[in-house]
Amino acid sequence: MSPKHWFYTFPLRLRSLLKRNQVEQDLSEELQFHLEQKSQQYMASGLSAEEARRKARREFGGVELSKENCRDTRGVNYIHDLVQYLAFGLRMLRNSPAFALVAILTLALGIGANTAIFSVIHGVLLQPLPFPKQDQLMTLWEKDNDGRRSNTSWANFMDWNKLNHSFDGIAAVSFWSPTIVGAHDAETLVGFRVSSTFFDLMGVKLERGRNFLASEDVRGNNFVVVLSYGFWQRTFGGDPGIAGKTVQLGTRAYTVVGVLPADFPSVLSFDPRKPADIYTPLAYDETLPYACRDCRHLRAFARLKNGASITQAEAEMNQISANLVREYPTAYSAAGVTLTPLKDYLVGDVKTALWALLASVGFVLLIACVNVANLLLAWAARRQREVALRAALGARRARMVRQFLTESFLLSFLGGALGLFLAWGGVALLQRIRLANLPRLQNVQIDTWTFAFTFGISLVTGLAFGLLPAFRASKLDLSEALKESGKSSAGKERHSLRSALVFADVALALLLLTAAGLMMKSFVRLLEVNPGFDPSHTLTLTLSLWGPKSADAPAVAFFDRVLQRVQALPGVESTGVVSQLPLGGNLDMYGVHVEGKSLANPEEDPSADRYSITPGYLRAMRISLLRGREFDESDVVTSPMVALVNESMAHQFWPGEDPVGKRFRMGDTKGPWKTVVGVVGDVLHKGLDAPHTIQVYLPNTQFTDAMVVLAVRTSNDPASMAGSVRSEIATIDPQVPVSEVATMDEVVSVSVANQRFGALLFLLFGAIALVLTTVGIYGVISYGVAQRTHEIGIRLALGAGRREVLSMIVSETLKPALLGAAVGLFAAFALTRLLTRLLYNVKPTDPPVFAAVLLLLIGVALLASYIPARRATLVDPMVALRYE
Amino acid sequence: MSKPSDLVQGTLDLLLLKILALEPMNGYAISLRLKQVSGDVLQVSDGSLYPALHKLEQEGWITAEWKPTENNRRAKFYSLTRLGRGQLEKESANWSRLSAAISNIVKLKEA
Repeated sequence: MSPKHWFYTFPLRLRSLLKRNQVEQDLSEELQFHLEQKSQQYMASGLSAEEARRKARREFGGVELSKENCRDTRGVNYIHDLVQYLAFGLRMLRNSPAFALVAILTLALGIGANTAIFSVIHGVLLQPLPFPKQDQLMTLWEKDNDGRRSNTSWANFMDWNKLNHSFDGIAAVSFWSPTIVGAHDAETLVGFRVSSTFFDLMGVKLERGRNFLASEDVRGNNFVVVLSYGFWQRTFGGDPGIAGKTVQLGTRAYTVVGVLPADFPSVLSFDPRKPADIYTPLAYDETLPYACRDCRHLRAFARLKNGASITQAEAEMNQISANLVREYPTAYSAAGVTLTPLKDYLVGDVKTALWALLASVGFVLLIACVNVANLLLAWAARRQREVALRAALGARRARMVRQFLTESFLLSFLGGALGLFLAWGGVALLQRIRLANLPRLQNVQIDTWTFAFTFGISLVTGLAFGLLPAFRASKLDLSEALKESGKSSAGKERHSLRSALVFADVALALLLLTAAGLMMKSFVRLLEVNPGFDPSHTLTLTLSLWGPKSADAPAVAFFDRVLQRVQALPGVESTGVVSQLPLGGNLDMYGVHVEGKSLANPEEDPSADRYSITPGYLRAMRISLLRGREFDESDVVTSPMVALVNESMAHQFWPGEDPVGKRFRMGDTKGPWKTVVGVVGDVLHKGLDAPHTIQVYLPNTQFTDAMVVLAVRTSNDPASMAGSVRSEIATIDPQVPVSEVATMDEVVSVSVANQRFGALLFLLFGAIALVLTTVGIYGVISYGVAQRTHEIGIRLALGAGRREVLSMIVSETLKPALLGAAVGLFAAFALTRLLTRLLYNVKPTDPPVFAAVLLLLIGVALLASYIPARRATLVDPMVALRYE
Repeated sequence: MSKPSDLVQGTLDLLLLKILALEPMNGYAISLRLKQVSGDVLQVSDGSLYPALHKLEQEGWITAEWKPTENNRRAKFYSLTRLGRGQLEKESANWSRLSAAISNIVKLKEA
């Protein structure tokens, strides 16, 4: 339309919209004028006034119809109509508050749960990382002969960098736990040593200052740091002049050269709840004993060249790896190199669970839709007379369909709005209580995408369940509806619809509840696993020594003093120090070379978890000694090297033999022999659902760590002892940082946080499904029964027993419910397979779970139909017969 | 809705525009004029006349004004706008072309 055109028409549209009454009055007056003129004309030709008026009207046709057609030309009608529909719809909803409330709540639950889960998926899985061309970012892994991926070594990293043509560069990363030293205290930071190229490779633009220089990636030249945004804010108050200032880390002063932007995700830390604080150049020390070719403790990150594909790069890296294996046959062994896109590496673990949750919550929405559709149908049926009346009075079908659609949209919008609110609350709660170890969880927010998603579902839902009643209303047989008040005429069809809804409800709920049951059972099984130690009544604290105190002898002496003082505290039963805590997230492993059983290439010998402990540790953790002796005060740095091995290791290397007295080397193939003095029980290290590993314990006098965990077994609540244990340590040395104070129960609990998260959400969705299904079936049946009050009255009056009527109604519900259960069982049988990866020690077709869910749902269906059925049969037949 | 079935769609618009091009008129007068000029050949029911007029008004081709009639009754008088004059020219031209084409076809001699 041309602007010129608008000039004429816009005022008219505005007038039609805003001065509707005036416009309407004009219209009436105009037509009235016409009719009067016409009548006068006929009167002039001799007709009586009455006859003339009638003739004029007859010739005109329907005055109201003509008016309606005039209104249609105004072009703003839809707005008026919408307002009208909405007002009418709201009035209808207000008149049936129970219906409106149930429908809106049902929708809100479905939409809210979906929106919340979608937000999480969007934030965690879908949203791109804040790196340019993030698809080019890869993590590189050595592929072991059993196909598992592991870190790489310095020598390989250097060769990879030199030999490849696929990458813009490869950066290496290792852990760093510096201690920031204040005047009276000290704190351990989460840090990383990174190749100087790391931030450039990621494509990060620093918030302040500059990147590391290649010259700083050299031993002795490396006392520079880049701070994370959060650490900069927290510790330096966001000091804008931070670049160039120094920070005291241990005994060294480091110069701050830069600050990372706020949106730089901590891609390097394993525990999403402990983001990195600080970075320093790798400046690798090639003189260290662990600089060997198979000492795999570096993680490698790379960026593909423009145009290079993953498969090409992987093929090239495999070739390079094979050549290296050929070149260093005794020092290196690998099956190749695995490339994993950075994003998969970050979220790979939680992907399956999140998608499974979305699927499950999608079923919740389906159930919600089924129920609301059903509510709407019942509502529409109740309004059949109203509809018939309106149709008889000349309302057009299209108009009525539009009215129904508006009403269902109104419902879904209200439900959607409430659902959005629920989702917002749910996500906030999730972030607050940190139920799960989800990477990027703090990223999750209800954003435009989520809003669009919610809006989309509301819209689709509204359309889906609004169309059916609308369609039914439009094809209504008027005379019959008016005559019979819609009681028995469409009864058959409605009955089958009711059955279909019961069927769908039961089938969907069964599917969901089975999944929930399996997840719960799996989680319970997981918690029942014996970790090999007793987590109750145990407090753990991490101590990190730094500077001269971290040398072996002073460290051992310091730990002894700590143990003495803590042991003397009232309420402490036993206490010990260990280099890494089981289930604590550390993976400290060393190759073990058993005397006489080493492989041709000793690099292929298996690795064992290594624990350096003080004598009291086994008692503090209640790890059982199966054979031989524990360590004691006689195991010192100068005494013969000794070790304890776990049952799995004993079994693997010395089946049927006594391992005590046997010897092995650890790490270095030419190192000193260690003699086995005892066997202890297996401890689960990586996770409650992980297989048992081979494990070695060494006295901390013979293998000393500067960063250790203090385990304290108490007779009372361990958490209440934290303060006094800390103050004992501070009395000895206030500048030894104490971190990660937690009870062992908490450590175990955190290790299964994601499984708990999955199980709880599945359970929540299952519970919602169960409630919705119960309410749904109850609603359908009570409505159906109410419709049949008349019929029931007749039956009772004719002498049918109440029990017969009762069982008739209940069995009519039970039939579709059973059918739904059967179909649901089949679907569950087919679909729970997808959960296999998430289940621990439970088959996806676990018969007890299937049986329990089946019984539960049949019980619910029985109950939900029994109550309304019973109520109906208690009605006085005379009242029932008169029931309209 | 009773459409003037013998009228080609859109022709009623042309007729109304043409009638109003001569002088402003109220609806009743237009209905009389239609009958009079077409000699009862074109049957436009009164009921469908008004929606057609309102449509032209909403398009901006004609405009309406309440004025007293000769007998001093208030009536809604329609008159052509500048936009409507352009539309009239366009539609007349269209009509001429269409009718010429149709009469040519009708005049074709059977071989």
